[in-house]
Amino acid sequence: MIRFLALTLCAHVFASLTLSPAAADEVPYWEEMVASGELPPMAERLPSEPLVVDDGREIGTYGGDWTMLITRSKDTRLLVVFGYARLVGYNTALEIVPDILESYEVKEGRIFTFHLREGHRWSDGHPLTAEDFRYWWEDVANNEELAPSGPPSILLVDGQAPAFEVIDETTIRYTWDKPNPDFLPALASASPIFLYRPAHFMKQYHADYGDTDQIAQWVEEAEKTSWASLHNAEDDMYKFDSDSLPTLQPWTITNEAPAQRFVGERNPYYYKVDAAGQQLPYMDQVLMNVVDSKLVPLKTWSGESDLQARALSFSDFTFLKEGETHSDYTVNLWQTARGSQLALYPNLCVNNPVWNKVVRDVRFRRALSQAIDRTELNQVIYYGLGIEGQNTVLPASPLFDPHYREVYASFDIDEANRLLDDMGLTERNSKGIRLLPDGRPMEIIVETAGENTEETDILELVHDHWLQVGVKMFSKPLQREVLRNRIFACETLISIWFGNENGIPSAAMSPSEFAPTSQQLFMWPTWGQYYETGGEAGRPIDMDGPQRLMELYLAWRAATSGEEREAIWKEILTIYSDGVYSIGLVAGTLQPIVTSNRLHNVPTEGLYNWDPGAQLGMYQPDTFFFTNGDDGRP
Amino acid sequence: MIQYVAYRLVIMVPTLIGISLITFIIIQLPPGDFLSTLIAECEASGQKGCAEQIDLYRQEFGLDKPIWHQYLIWVTDLMQGKMGISFEYEKPVSEVIGPSLWLTIIVSGATIIFTWVVSFPIGVYSATHQYSWGDHGLTLIGFLGLATPNFLLALVLLFLANVWFGTSIGGLMDPEYIDAPWSWGKFVSILEHLWIPVVVIGTSGTAGLIRRLRANLLDELQKQYVVTARAKGLPPGRALVKYPLRMALNPFIADIGNLLPQVISGAVIVSVVLSLPTTGPILLRALQTQDMYLAGSFLMALALLTVIGVLVSDMLLAVLDPRIRLGQEASH
Repeated sequence: MIRFLALTLCAHVFASLTLSPAAADEVPYWEEMVASGELPPMAERLPSEPLVVDDGREIGTYGGDWTMLITRSKDTRLLVVFGYARLVGYNTALEIVPDILESYEVKEGRIFTFHLREGHRWSDGHPLTAEDFRYWWEDVANNEELAPSGPPSILLVDGQAPAFEVIDETTIRYTWDKPNPDFLPALASASPIFLYRPAHFMKQYHADYGDTDQIAQWVEEAEKTSWASLHNAEDDMYKFDSDSLPTLQPWTITNEAPAQRFVGERNPYYYKVDAAGQQLPYMDQVLMNVVDSKLVPLKTWSGESDLQARALSFSDFTFLKEGETHSDYTVNLWQTARGSQLALYPNLCVNNPVWNKVVRDVRFRRALSQAIDRTELNQVIYYGLGIEGQNTVLPASPLFDPHYREVYASFDIDEANRLLDDMGLTERNSKGIRLLPDGRPMEIIVETAGENTEETDILELVHDHWLQVGVKMFSKPLQREVLRNRIFACETLISIWFGNENGIPSAAMSPSEFAPTSQQLFMWPTWGQYYETGGEAGRPIDMDGPQRLMELYLAWRAATSGEEREAIWKEILTIYSDGVYSIGLVAGTLQPIVTSNRLHNVPTEGLYNWDPGAQLGMYQPDTFFFTNGDDGRP
Repeated sequence: MIQYVAYRLVIMVPTLIGISLITFIIIQLPPGDFLSTLIAECEASGQKGCAEQIDLYRQEFGLDKPIWHQYLIWVTDLMQGKMGISFEYEKPVSEVIGPSLWLTIIVSGATIIFTWVVSFPIGVYSATHQYSWGDHGLTLIGFLGLATPNFLLALVLLFLANVWFGTSIGGLMDPEYIDAPWSWGKFVSILEHLWIPVVVIGTSGTAGLIRRLRANLLDELQKQYVVTARAKGLPPGRALVKYPLRMALNPFIADIGNLLPQVISGAVIVSVVLSLPTTGPILLRALQTQDMYLAGSFLMALALLTVIGVLVSDMLLAVLDPRIRLGQEASH
């Protein structure tokens, strides 16, 4: 940490010595406004120590509009996801570094001191100060009407909220009694916790500050029920659906839903500069055209998007590749980072007593896992480009060990048969299907949300594999909500769903997906619910393996050193793979990224992941630029 | 006549109440509510802490109240002319639907005109030249339009229009005109895009109209008075237009009841496939996410238009065809 701080400090000193921001020319987009005095010149708009992006990227030229396709108006939030201005953020090595913050210090994993940049401004020109943090903490997060459930749970350690202090105008501190290792990752995530609000703007909607009559009138006009709901609607920094809310992101939204096209305009007070002292972003506007998701590949093919990844899937690759000659773009394939693209989740709490006993037997889960020919799945569905194995960490993770991925993941019918025989499931009926202890045939219903053909195709293949060991499988598509509720109610025996979100964790990232920490983990919903609700709902863990995973997870949260965390992680991964709590299939599938040939600084190889990474966000789209600042559109 | 209209107007009230009940129940039938969709989406994109906002939303949207209470809130608001709040957009429903309304009317209006302009002459020709090559050929084309899946035809036309004319794919105008004020360029751009949805939606309707007009006209052409008129030397054109055609028009007029709601709703599926900025996709999305006030108020508007449309077509029929007697029906 100290070494890192020293490094960033050096970088800043170096930066302030080598460049004087005044040396760079004014952004052409603002030239007129600066000349007429509506906007101060660039040097005055930047913080006194702007963030210098100097990692060997090309120095760009200003101008051009980034046209992209979105599938519904809600996707305006992509400007926040891709904009990726965070208090702290991930760099491409997946380390957390200061971003909006000039620097930060962490003591004992529980005392977080944040230093803001002197002279940093909101997009409307108002200074960003400690008051914006105080306003959120005291007047929003701890206001009973605005947040009836209190501050977000990620800010609670054992149910305890942090002590918040304003040290001075640009320094704030959050102190917990125990370490909170989830805090910084939550700030760096794709949909982060915003600890700050434009207080000067939001106060006009707040009952404690604003003009009561005026607020009442606005509430009436917007057909809201109370000032609180008006405040919350205006205040959504993530949804990014208000054209008047000041922001710190590179582009600010200029129109509201419903609309066919959303326009993001460059933020004149953005805090980053390139190595030559030019204020970022390079591109003047982001134009987001709303189209149906089925039309996205076709429109991309015809060259109507400058940089497109959303709503494109691997199956569009050949079609898009063919369009390279037609529309002057390049298709690159980026890695994805789920622990497994899709995984089977045996529900350990299933109500049926006979099945419950069977599913909880590790030999059963291992047998099912070994009876799947992952190579065939990979060849048939993913053209052989995926990584076969369990639902665990990927080779790109520093915690990777081939053992985690390979154990009980090889296709071995004999071994699977032996395991099932070993369990005493030796009886078979006339069709060769094994019989359960109560004499019923072993027919497994795998429930699926059935939203894409990928799931059903995979289940079709798995059906044939399992039949070889005497297990008959049926798949049953359900509506997503129904599926979820059935799993929560322990009605579902096995479900198929996405694998772990973060397949590339470092020891500093939370292992919560590997322990019963959430109802949304489909192998142990009731235990997760028990933890989530502090014991008010759900059931306590009554199995050794998951119990141990939970203890390890809590130990990880309390750990203060990196070595300790790494050791805990390794034990967690070992137990998780050993117990086959989820049956992983194929991971590392590829995401096509279509990039206009006029666009620079977009890496040809990358990692397309929601969290960590914010999809394109980690690669800093504010540094992407067009050849000669021209997007090539009429 | 006046008595009849008054009677019909009174009958509308219980009809609409019934429709509103059914609408509301059907929207509520699928398990979960808007918030469960919200959580599902939130989690599908890999976010954490999604469940936290839920109680707040539930209170704010009144989703914690029993269903009958939610229904009463909605209906009382409707009677005051308030269409409620759309959960998804967090805006009054009227603001959500409003902007796309006029484009919907343009598309639907053009489609209806297209359907009539195509099917009317073909129907008349087919009837007067029964079993000729022309009759068979044109009917075949009409049925092809009916048989081709709309979305497929839409995708093919989009692709061809892009390759041949360089028209941008989907939508009703080139992207740069979306927020631009009206200009000649914008008008031309709309015309360039408009023909695809009009043809796609229109072709599916032509076959039905052609066949109905042909059948009705054939019935009339056999009748004594036509034969007499011809025998007395009335020119064939006049002998056709004066009475038989007028009688054969009944189905067109009776269709007006369905026409009004069509003008507002647009062809939903085609609009979705073509990414048209019309109300159809908004309605579909509202139903999918159980955005109940948006969907409910929209469907109620459609119901109201249908009821009015049926009334209008009944009245027009009476004017057009003296054989139809309304008063007797009303007195039953």
